[in-house]
Amino acid sequence: MIEVRFPVLNESEPDAEGVLATWFVGDGEEVGEGQLLCEVQVEKSSEDVHSEGAGTIRLAVSEGEVVRQGEVIARIE
Amino acid sequence: MTTAERTRERRLTTARAMVEGIAQEMRRNEEVFVMGEDVGAYGGIFGTTTGLLDEFGPERVMDTPISETGFIGAGVGAAIEGMRPIVELMFVDFFGVCMDQIYNHMAKIHYESGGNVKVPMVLMTSVGGGYSDGAQHSQCLWATFAHLPGMKIVVPSNPRDAKGLMISAIRDDNPVVYMTHKGIMGLAWMAKNARSVGPVPEEEYEVPIGKASVAREGTDATVVTLSLSVHHALDVAERLSGEGIELEVLDLRSLVPLDREAILESVGKTGRVLVVDEDYRSFGLSGEIAATIAEEDPAMLKAPLARVAVPDVPIPYARPLERAVLPTPERIEEAARGLVGA
Amino acid sequence: MSATHLKPTPANSLTPSTIPRESGPQGILRATSSCRTFAAKAPSYPPLPSRIWLFVRQFVYYRKGGVMDTSTRLSLYRTMVRIRAFEEAIRREYYVGKQPVFDIGAGPVPGEMHLAAGQEPVAAGLCAHLRPDDALTGPHRPHHIALAHGVDMKRMTAEIFGRESGLCHGKGGHMHLFAPEVHFGCSGIIAEGMPTACGQALAFKKRGTDQVAAAVVGEGAVNQGGFHESLNLAALWKLPVIFVVEDNDWGISVPRSASTSNFSATDRGRAYGIPGERVEDNSVEGVYEACGRAVQRARRGEGPSLIEVHTLRLWGHFEGDAQGYRESELEDVPGRDPIPTYRRTLIEEGLLDEEEAQRIRAEAEEEVEAAIRFAKESPEPAPDEALEHVFA
Repeated sequence: MIEVRFPVLNESEPDAEGVLATWFVGDGEEVGEGQLLCEVQVEKSSEDVHSEGAGTIRLAVSEGEVVRQGEVIARIE
Repeated sequence: MTTAERTRERRLTTARAMVEGIAQEMRRNEEVFVMGEDVGAYGGIFGTTTGLLDEFGPERVMDTPISETGFIGAGVGAAIEGMRPIVELMFVDFFGVCMDQIYNHMAKIHYESGGNVKVPMVLMTSVGGGYSDGAQHSQCLWATFAHLPGMKIVVPSNPRDAKGLMISAIRDDNPVVYMTHKGIMGLAWMAKNARSVGPVPEEEYEVPIGKASVAREGTDATVVTLSLSVHHALDVAERLSGEGIELEVLDLRSLVPLDREAILESVGKTGRVLVVDEDYRSFGLSGEIAATIAEEDPAMLKAPLARVAVPDVPIPYARPLERAVLPTPERIEEAARGLVGA
Repeated sequence: MSATHLKPTPANSLTPSTIPRESGPQGILRATSSCRTFAAKAPSYPPLPSRIWLFVRQFVYYRKGGVMDTSTRLSLYRTMVRIRAFEEAIRREYYVGKQPVFDIGAGPVPGEMHLAAGQEPVAAGLCAHLRPDDALTGPHRPHHIALAHGVDMKRMTAEIFGRESGLCHGKGGHMHLFAPEVHFGCSGIIAEGMPTACGQALAFKKRGTDQVAAAVVGEGAVNQGGFHESLNLAALWKLPVIFVVEDNDWGISVPRSASTSNFSATDRGRAYGIPGERVEDNSVEGVYEACGRAVQRARRGEGPSLIEVHTLRLWGHFEGDAQGYRESELEDVPGRDPIPTYRRTLIEEGLLDEEEAQRIRAEAEEEVEAAIRFAKESPEPAPDEALEHVFA
């Protein structure tokens, strides 16, 4: 099981919050290694999150939700 | 759903889809290059070129000074010599400073030369409001461009069409103005419609320029629209379907050439038409559609044509004012109900 | 050697290049005296530091034994005569049907007509250095540079006459001549051909060829935004482009002094880091030399140049221009005609005689009349062709 975490965009403030801006995959879908999963944003910076493995993805947060950096946003089984 | 089907349903935002179209064409043809303000490291202020600099380098993804006449004109010159430049006009509202190069040069040289000189360039630009950017940064203006002969105009509404139309535009030997509404780009920093993210085939494919698409079939009335308004129309159509009103939504996708056949076929079927257009109301797209129908057969209409457009005022800044002038879902629904007598 | 070549020539044609060249001590003496004469007598000449620089440069040129060879000089002359014969014939044809009452839309050549009589030195001097695969964009007054660059005279004439056999099948007319086989185009909008030339130069640079692009504009263009944007882009991206400013003193009816602050196109070029030169006295050899330097610079990858030529608009801005605003100088204008001046020089140097000069003129006229005949005998385009060629 792979935990997908919200990346740390603001290193000076590790507990900073951001938003899960866009999900590119849906809950229960099959994802491949390297596949684009979502785009996240902290203040004015945004970043893509790619999958580190293959499997079925379960989303832990929804689009537009405010998330703390480092939190689990999805799991791939 | 099989694994194969699930992976083929890869989804992208409109911005990423159009970038993928550009990237695939740049890989295929080394004479395709991009020029514009902040298209390099920044990736385009509305995400139109994100990632291209990393893959293709500064020779092919060129940041320009703030010199629209200069660099759009340079695009024309490079295209005359056979290259395929993609030039970005950051906001369509900026056309005032460079329109001569666009409508008098890019659009006319092929005709003026009796067909001897081609200008195979793409002029891409961001349009539209709804996020309080004020009168000089929120316009659509596609009717102004469409009115002037010699340039094709495409206005994708969704990621799949965005990639396909970009590939078609690059491959077309004519100047193509490619207009994307900021609200459909799927940007992380702007409120987005759910359909800004959608399935996009991974391979190269073209979407034909000049062909509209029936986004939703219906029987009671036709909504002729484009760009972000397609999504609002679809939202309204879903809601009204619950009351037994079935709207057909026609996504124009291109304004030049305009798919008049598709308009007449749909309106001929439903007998009622609502034009939803985020450009100014008078002397524009909605009037052109009205004329198209009237020239063909005014008797095909069971009710007068309805249109929801921006009234002939500059777009105001304050949110309630801006919402009052844009073609919001509320205005669309009211007009649709009026049209079908509900 | 007789001293006839040092006979005073009209002051307004005194340029370094009308002075014969020799090496050796005699040459130095003549060079020195000629330069002094030039520096003293050139009428619209630049301020003192520039004069000194011109003196030094010319002196060095002579000492290096630089000689403009005879065949080049005669070729320049022939080019100018050919252009003049063409402009005179077009002028004649333009007025057909427009007399006694001038109706701009009447006759076989309707519309506006901007002729370049007097500006031949620019075309001849510039285009001598351009190859058919170099790009050239002209302004609303394009005939001289089109012809000098090798645009087909017959098809060009047919286009001016609006015939199907014209360069653009009659769609473009006199201000929109396009000849892609020699990379030639025009824009009727002031200064707007310069961005096009930048783009063509950009394509050549990207492809790694040694092709160059040139744009010719008038002195009025230096106040247009596109002029400045083009200079900046060309310098910033080090484009192989040559901007040529034809300063004929008049922007239609407005003299340069009334339109242009701190006038010097070369100064404006230098403000963007672009090297430039101003050629005085409409000297075809001066243009030839300056453009030669500019083109070579571009071909070597050293970037853009701006050449400003003080030239002469012999006739009106357009045909039909009464030129009431120009009364102060109209009398002197014919005396400044560059072609008789250059002819006199070549004859004085024994490179040309009257008979040969007449033969050159007759040949030019023959070619021009054949082109006019071709145009007149060509059919007009069919009306529904108006809907063609919007899109490829």
